[in-house]
Amino acid sequence: MRDGLDWRRGRIVRIGSGLAVAGILIAFTSIPSTSEAADTLKIGVLGPLSGAAAPWGIALSRGAELRAEELNAAGGLKIAGKAYILKTIPYDHKATAAEAATTTNKLVFEDKVKFIVGNAVGATCDAAQAITEREKVLFTFVCWGTKNVAADKPYSFRELLSQWEVSPPLYAWIREKHPKIRRVALISPNDTSGWDTSTAVKDAAKELGMEVVADEYYERGAKDFYPLLTKILAKKPDLLELAGSTPGEGGLILKQAYELGYRGGKAWVAAFDPTRYIQIAGKEATEGLWTVGAPDLEGTYVSPGVKEFARKYRGKYGEPATMIAVANYAGMDVVTKAMQMAGSLDPDKVLQALVKGKFETVWGPVVIGGKARYGIDRQFLYPFVISEIRDGKTVDISSVAPKELKK
Amino acid sequence: MESQLLIQALVNGIMLGMVYVLVALGLTLVFSIMEVINFAHGEFYMLGGYTAYYLIAQLGLNYFLTIAAAVVVVGFLGWMIEKLLFRPFRKDLLGAFIVSLGLVWVLQSAAMLAFGSLEKSVPSPFRGVLKVLGIYFSLERLIVTVTAIVLVAALYLFIQFSREGRAMRAVAQDSDAAALQGINVARISSLAFAVGAGLAATAGVLIAPLFFVSPFIGDLPIVKAFIIIILGGMGSIPGALLGGLILGLAEGVGSIFLSIPAVNLLGFVIVMAVLLVRPRGLLGHA
Repeated sequence: MRDGLDWRRGRIVRIGSGLAVAGILIAFTSIPSTSEAADTLKIGVLGPLSGAAAPWGIALSRGAELRAEELNAAGGLKIAGKAYILKTIPYDHKATAAEAATTTNKLVFEDKVKFIVGNAVGATCDAAQAITEREKVLFTFVCWGTKNVAADKPYSFRELLSQWEVSPPLYAWIREKHPKIRRVALISPNDTSGWDTSTAVKDAAKELGMEVVADEYYERGAKDFYPLLTKILAKKPDLLELAGSTPGEGGLILKQAYELGYRGGKAWVAAFDPTRYIQIAGKEATEGLWTVGAPDLEGTYVSPGVKEFARKYRGKYGEPATMIAVANYAGMDVVTKAMQMAGSLDPDKVLQALVKGKFETVWGPVVIGGKARYGIDRQFLYPFVISEIRDGKTVDISSVAPKELKK
Repeated sequence: MESQLLIQALVNGIMLGMVYVLVALGLTLVFSIMEVINFAHGEFYMLGGYTAYYLIAQLGLNYFLTIAAAVVVVGFLGWMIEKLLFRPFRKDLLGAFIVSLGLVWVLQSAAMLAFGSLEKSVPSPFRGVLKVLGIYFSLERLIVTVTAIVLVAALYLFIQFSREGRAMRAVAQDSDAAALQGINVARISSLAFAVGAGLAATAGVLIAPLFFVSPFIGDLPIVKAFIIIILGGMGSIPGALLGGLILGLAEGVGSIFLSIPAVNLLGFVIVMAVLLVRPRGLLGHA
């Protein structure tokens, strides 16, 4: 009997110590501290910090952190004569809606934040917005879900151009410069962002008289696209559109389409981070790819601000910067500037300043618009470029400025 | 066109099936000898991928030498992990299960800290496409398939004819009887774990240039490996091979007629159907 108890105790201790080691390591990957100084302004950051979508969450968190560090180094954020030290609180929602609700609750009710700058993955934005809108927490994100920006969500802002802003100019350009392209095949992830992106592209293509010959979806995290591509390429498309694919997925799709003999036109409205997908797909497979709003962040065509940001980012984190990191850096910049314009930390007043203002950022000028599409001005608008990949490099071929910037 | 589509799908299915078999073989080997189900086995595959990234992409080492290096490095890690973490849980399914889940988190988080979160790409050592009768074959996929087949055959010969392999089979059949015959069961367990880890790492090296490497690439092959070994019969090496081929072919052909989410379900549906008729799997022992 005693032997049995000792054995069990020993086993529990062994399992416990194994779990403890695991726990400590996990804890080190994300430590949301709750300590608070007198004049600290806490800003929440949501995002997937683990799992396959982790690069997005990590980029969001780093973008916000870099801007906060710059402001703190300059003596803090000065609002109505008082300086605040900014403290970002990143939480990991693992790209799931349930975790997004839990982490948003933590930010709003335990950390008592009034501003959340950054989130990615459409379904997690829906979950977070159910709380932020009710609690009047100002929330900016990069989620591409069409309904994430809506008239009944006045506290929510999208800080990255979405498929609805970038698809029509890209397809109008393709139609004009390559009139022989008529048959479009789409491949996109099987989730809200993927469906919405495909819908935006289909609308833009059909509007211009193009035919959609395939509209296929894959599960996030997929790596082998041979089966799906074999099916798509049998439909003989003139243009393969990668829609809402991430750089990793899209890089593999391009590589495998090339291996399967596809040599037609290629377009990708969500082609962020060219350095990463070109590395994965190789030069031949990406040759001639048309992208939009995603210049090489360390290339010759971006603004000096973005280039400086990319240099700083690489220096600090040892990895190339991504569009999402720039977007959240700019998001943090715009929100803090709006706080200064409002002279207040009241989300309602900051919201008014945001909608009225024009902000100078790393992108260049940013205004908040989008009423015609979403019924409310909550979309960040800034100049963007249409690019083509040539010999493994992004080459700018046309630049587009939203009409709201011209007013 | 339809027949070309079918052949393309079959070839693709066999290639991925063979790579998953390499992962599944290690898993089934460890299970048959230690009665331990190691959920962290996919992480050895991930570490193999990173070995490929550092040796091929960074140092420019030869592809096949990298496979050998991955077997040694990850195999040694497997050996150590068996000694330190799993040995106390030999024949203790629940304890080993919990430890292996903890190990998944530890190894994934450690990889994220050590290697970064972004996907790393490994340049393909065999670029090029062959076109035979209107069907495209990627040269690197053909080489991966052939290499995997050679490795499976090598493992079979090792288990069947080498002294250590025979000892492994003896321990798998009855560890007490094997110990009475003078076999060092602890050493054989470590060796099996190291061989299993080395095989998974080999699969990681083979696949790295086709896809990319990230801390989470082990998640998918481990699920496929479980389907394969349950289908083929837990602990059976020929069963793992058969299970891998069935899964690969079913997914390859299924992808022509079904949507991708449905194809992902297909493996589980086959497992359930087989278990209903034959609870020990296709080639499993009672």
